Amino acid sequence: MKRKFSWISAILVMLLLLSACNANTSSNEGASPSTSGGASNSSGTALEPYELTMAYFTFGSVPKDQLLIEEALNKITIAKLNTTVKLLPISFGAWQNQINLMLTSNEKLDLMAIFGNTYANQVAKGQLTELDDLLANQGKGIVEALGAEYANAAKINGKTYAVPTIRDLAQKYGFYMPKTLVDKYNLNLSQVKTLDDLEPILKTIKEKEPKLIPLVNSVSSSPITSFNTRDSLGDDMGVLLNNGQDLKVVNWFETEEYATVLKKMREWYLAGYIAKDAVTVKESKSDIFKAGKGAGTLAAMKPGFDVQEARQSGTPIVSVEMLPPVAKTSTVTNVMWGIAKNSKNPERAMQFLNLMYTDKEIINLLDWGIEGKHYVKVSENVIDYPQGVTASDVGYSGLGWLFGNQFLSYIFKGDDEKLWEKMKEFNTIAIKSKALGFTFDSTSVKTEFAAVTNVMTQYRIALECGALDPDKSLPEFIKKLKDAGIDKIINEKQKQLDAWAATNGK
Amino acid sequence: MGSTAKRWKRFTPLFLLMIPGLAYLIVNNYLPMFGMIIAFKDVNFSKGILGSDWIGFKNFEYLFKTADAYIITRNTILYNGAFIVINTIGAVSLAILLNEIRKKFFQRFYQSIVILPHLISMVIVSYLVYAMLSSETGLINKSILPLLGVDPIAWYSNKEYWPYILTIVNIWKGIGFLSVVYLASIISIDPEYYEAATIDGASKWHQIRSITFPLITPVITMMTLLAIGRIFHSDFGLFYQVPMDSGVLSETTNVIDTYVYRALMNLGDIGMSSAAGVYQSVVGFVLVILSNYAVRKFSKDNALF
Repeated sequence: MKRKFSWISAILVMLLLLSACNANTSSNEGASPSTSGGASNSSGTALEPYELTMAYFTFGSVPKDQLLIEEALNKITIAKLNTTVKLLPISFGAWQNQINLMLTSNEKLDLMAIFGNTYANQVAKGQLTELDDLLANQGKGIVEALGAEYANAAKINGKTYAVPTIRDLAQKYGFYMPKTLVDKYNLNLSQVKTLDDLEPILKTIKEKEPKLIPLVNSVSSSPITSFNTRDSLGDDMGVLLNNGQDLKVVNWFETEEYATVLKKMREWYLAGYIAKDAVTVKESKSDIFKAGKGAGTLAAMKPGFDVQEARQSGTPIVSVEMLPPVAKTSTVTNVMWGIAKNSKNPERAMQFLNLMYTDKEIINLLDWGIEGKHYVKVSENVIDYPQGVTASDVGYSGLGWLFGNQFLSYIFKGDDEKLWEKMKEFNTIAIKSKALGFTFDSTSVKTEFAAVTNVMTQYRIALECGALDPDKSLPEFIKKLKDAGIDKIINEKQKQLDAWAATNGK
Repeated sequence: MGSTAKRWKRFTPLFLLMIPGLAYLIVNNYLPMFGMIIAFKDVNFSKGILGSDWIGFKNFEYLFKTADAYIITRNTILYNGAFIVINTIGAVSLAILLNEIRKKFFQRFYQSIVILPHLISMVIVSYLVYAMLSSETGLINKSILPLLGVDPIAWYSNKEYWPYILTIVNIWKGIGFLSVVYLASIISIDPEYYEAATIDGASKWHQIRSITFPLITPVITMMTLLAIGRIFHSDFGLFYQVPMDSGVLSETTNVIDTYVYRALMNLGDIGMSSAAGVYQSVVGFVLVILSNYAVRKFSKDNALF
């Protein structure tokens, strides 16, 4: 007995020590670059030394060379701004919680990435710094790079609290399939413009390849999530039809258009064009294609989409544009950068942010890593992995659309060399929703907002996947939405939109 | 006087020993209770929590706003009530059966087997269930139902099966742990009772009914009271992960915790989520007091306080 006890206590002590060690090393790692940075600030600039904390999200784990990137970045920023930057990647799943905690507990945080769907809320709760003056003084490069129209898209009550990253600021929708299937059955995608046009193609696949899912949908969404003709105004509770060409807020779920689409989806579900377990699917689209189980899918697209998708699913694809590019507040404010209320030095944060939109060296460091180690130049603007390094074992790769101005980033080998020119053009020619720049603030109706959100999770995906019969469930869905107070939200939205339109002269 | 000093001297080491535990309890369990004020505030971070405006019960409204309020409360209470009854009966019987196994090896073996599910994460459990029930690849739809000549069933879009599925999963996962608790208290019963009973000619059934059962009643009462206190808190993993977050099933799978999670996922409003927590805890507190009061009526010794 005694022996056993001592064993257990020994193990416990070991565990304690181990966890203590872990905590130590991680805090050391976090601190070391900043201290070394602080000590070596003899570059003679007039600015006070300062350490910026920059939080952003990552998918998957933190890259193993993260610290090298931070060191390299600090070399540049000390020279330019006498500032060190502490990078704080947070995994996507924990993002919302952790950033809320950091903001609530007044932790050190300067720059933070912001998602469109939480933006209005963070502003309403007073978590973000007003940026207008800072942009006019320290952030001129940002406004210049974004263009006035898109720079204004993130305003709330006439004030800017965040700036969108520069990437694809509009979205178009279309359908794509693996090239092998298109060739095998001699399908002609180019003529597909509507869902009806899609039907014969799905039918062919269902008949010839019964083992494949003709129309794949992704996790927690339906096949038509990525096919829309409306301006959702952020949350689909009260939308503008026809891509926001008219400023009348309507209940999307009550429209004729929605009912027709649902009927189609029900037909397709019963015909087997949509998977029987579409509602509960847990694999990403690219995983389904990679496993050779999917035949086609509707998706939001942008220039360079085909190459990107082919890379992800490991097979060349053919795509067709079904709906033209449209820019709405939601497509612009998707990903933004803001300065937290906690920041002790917002001016410095803006100066660094300005570099993220104008400094090619910094952008490429954050996007691709260190030259010679994580990438090599093939030509002036095109890069590739160094010899012996592949996508799966490269020590660092960042999200291009996250770090400021993607248009200054190098083009990866295989992508169109003119990608950024095309993307710029895509952003320019996109149809602009009349409500571009309007962000709904739901705080005054948050009780209803919470209740309606619940009703939507209950019915929406199942209806849109065709798993429920719309004849029976759609009226039920609409009634529950009304009970939960969607009309109050729509009225409030219309009121805010009208006020916004009046001040912005729309 | 002298005796007080002596008593102090005698008990001081014990008080000293108590300090870490007490400090832990105060810091972890009592200080956060002041956070309850968040539920009655419109939290604005630039004003700080204490400086934010008081808004009364407005944060609670969304919990009672829709027809769902009835469904989630009903589901929460019925499921947890059923779990308490079934798990207790099952776990006590299992513990008694385990106790009757004479071969030490087998006793250990079965004990480990029944407690194993308790150690598995709910997310993994949800995929085990999915492997059974999936309409494309599930074991039941692909192998078992065809054998019986029954058409495949779309489990994840038919809500009527879920009360049974969730109960079965809960028993499978929870019963092992509970039965080990009961087994521990059965083992601690003095064997002399049983020897005496055997000499008097009592059958096994008699022994269980007249010795085992009365002697573990205090433990049963305590475990049940504790469970009743959490009757408004449901196992989030069970109700969210296992049905794969399928909205169609919500009539039979939506409970207070999942409702709150879904409602506030986008809103991220800490006032409203605290409101839900306060509501659950207050109701749980009242229920514990009431049921403890009821227990006291029957037998004073078995009550918690």
